[in-house]
Amino acid sequence: MSTPGADAGDTADSNTGTGRSVPARDPGRFGRLSAAVGRRVITALILVTVVFLIGPVVFTFVASFAGEWTGVLPSGFVTLDNWKQALGLSSTLGASRGLGGSTTIPIIGATIPLPETLSLSMALALGGVFINLLVGVPIAYAVTRYDFYGQSWLNTFAVLPVVPGIILGIAFLRTYPNFPSAVALMIGYSLLKAPYMVLAVQSSFESMDLRQIEESARSLGASWPRTFLTVVVPNAKQGILSGAIVCWTLAAAEFNFSYIVYSRGPKPFSLFLFENISNNPFLRAAAAISIYFLIVVVVTALLRSTGERGFSIGGVR
Amino acid sequence: MATRDESAPLGRFRTGLASLLAPTTERDRSRRRIAALAAPFLVLATFGAFVPLATMVRMSTSASNFAIEGLTLAAYERLFTSILAAVPGAGIDANPVYGEVIWNSLWFGAATTLASVVIGVAIAHGLEKYDLPREGLLVTLISFPISLPGIVAAFMMIVWFGKTGLLTNVLTVFTGAGPNAVALTGQPSGTLLAITGLFFGYLYSMIPRATFLLRGSYAEVNTDAEEAARSLGATPWQTFRYVTLPQIRPGIVGALILTFRTALAIFGTVLVLKALSVVTFRFSQEISVGFDLQMASALATVFFVFTVLFTFLSLRLTSAEVAG
Repeated sequence: MSTPGADAGDTADSNTGTGRSVPARDPGRFGRLSAAVGRRVITALILVTVVFLIGPVVFTFVASFAGEWTGVLPSGFVTLDNWKQALGLSSTLGASRGLGGSTTIPIIGATIPLPETLSLSMALALGGVFINLLVGVPIAYAVTRYDFYGQSWLNTFAVLPVVPGIILGIAFLRTYPNFPSAVALMIGYSLLKAPYMVLAVQSSFESMDLRQIEESARSLGASWPRTFLTVVVPNAKQGILSGAIVCWTLAAAEFNFSYIVYSRGPKPFSLFLFENISNNPFLRAAAAISIYFLIVVVVTALLRSTGERGFSIGGVR
Repeated sequence: MATRDESAPLGRFRTGLASLLAPTTERDRSRRRIAALAAPFLVLATFGAFVPLATMVRMSTSASNFAIEGLTLAAYERLFTSILAAVPGAGIDANPVYGEVIWNSLWFGAATTLASVVIGVAIAHGLEKYDLPREGLLVTLISFPISLPGIVAAFMMIVWFGKTGLLTNVLTVFTGAGPNAVALTGQPSGTLLAITGLFFGYLYSMIPRATFLLRGSYAEVNTDAEEAARSLGATPWQTFRYVTLPQIRPGIVGALILTFRTALAIFGTVLVLKALSVVTFRFSQEISVGFDLQMASALATVFFVFTVLFTFLSLRLTSAEVAG
């Protein structure tokens, strides 16, 4: 990797050479520039990125309370019409296109209208999380606690989202054509979100001395299944909880897979969002999307209370 | 019936199974535990992934569109002729549409990956090295879009760059051009403005992921070496170039690989913004227009094999961390 110039020693500017060469004392023009403004440039970049990422979220939320948007900015604050229509609570023409109408459920004296699509989607996602718990906690324990043949491959398959959602959707089309949409969606959600569960639970297990915990419990006379269920799992409840929350939120919003697989029956939430974005007036779409923002904000707050720092678990989807 | 050659592995399998069911040694018992712990995941992976993927591969070679029957490679033949036809100078006369969508996916994915990882390095550097006020809040805000599906990312771009979008309004005032000339979304597919809008849509999803993959490697940087370099008179840039960068290089390579994967799999954003036909967008066209399931399956098979090989080979060859 050494350049001939660096060997000859007659080129003064080795700063532009390869990584192996010793840097010159003179920082050069770029070095002086970066020393002067580097910190400010990077701080500004961070601020611009945060505004780029969060600005439209805030704007969408605020605009969802506006009456109309015909000029530069929306106007006619504050109205709840968009929200009522998006939630399917108002009996206008557009409400039938909202969250699929609402069922009223009686809860001790009061009846609460419950938007159908929203509750169905939450239930589907919950089903996916339930499968994930059964599948993710044991596999996370196996690859963290034991050394065995093929362990690293199994670990890779468990934590890396190997199949993109849209590919899995196409694969499901001919394989399970007779499954009700709800069942196919639940299986798909659990498979696609399993890595998030495994990673979260694994990080809990890694902070515990598993071998010692297990051996103490065993030496006190507990059988191995009993040790696993009553000692190991409760100790990892923080990771399990945060994994479940992340999986649930991501499953509720999983679009790529749902779009391909969904055929009939009540619509998943992500398809409702898509229909709002592509067909409905801007402000009602804003209200529909704001529903999901609210869910994520609540979930992030929950995650903070379990000690996680937001949706930072896992990098890929 | 069984010859000696067949009975040896069969016998070993039988004793292996027997030791799983009725373990005698402690080693057998721990193997049984591992099997029991891995079983639910393997069941889900088999019925949720392996069987459907195998069916998909089989479907791509089926002669009928409505059932799996017969064996033909017609879909692959069409696919590969189309890819070759898109190569300039190959001299093959066919519709190059599949070659074009694959090329679009690759160059657009590479461009957005490079941009997001560069920005991700800068953000991770700033978050890790500078004492920024409200750092926890910044981290939460930057991670927020990880939870948003691609269709919502596309909507966010409409809020910024649509014909009545916030930035479009600003640009309209400053340049005097009409909103139709400066809006980045809602333009005809394939135009430079529309593709720029989609580029930002991809960045919206990928910058948070790249940043968080890189924060992991920044957490492991040896700060003593950096301080030594600074106290010996190196400028911040030299410190970064010669001390920090070599340490986070594996992290950067891992982030490039995993972010590129994400870029290839983005679908919702393209479906809403319709600026460039990429492979994932082509799937929905194959299925919604004409329900050409063989072609969709063949394209999906090639796409899947490519992503898996790319991810595993590059992660193995560069020994980058798998998980973020």
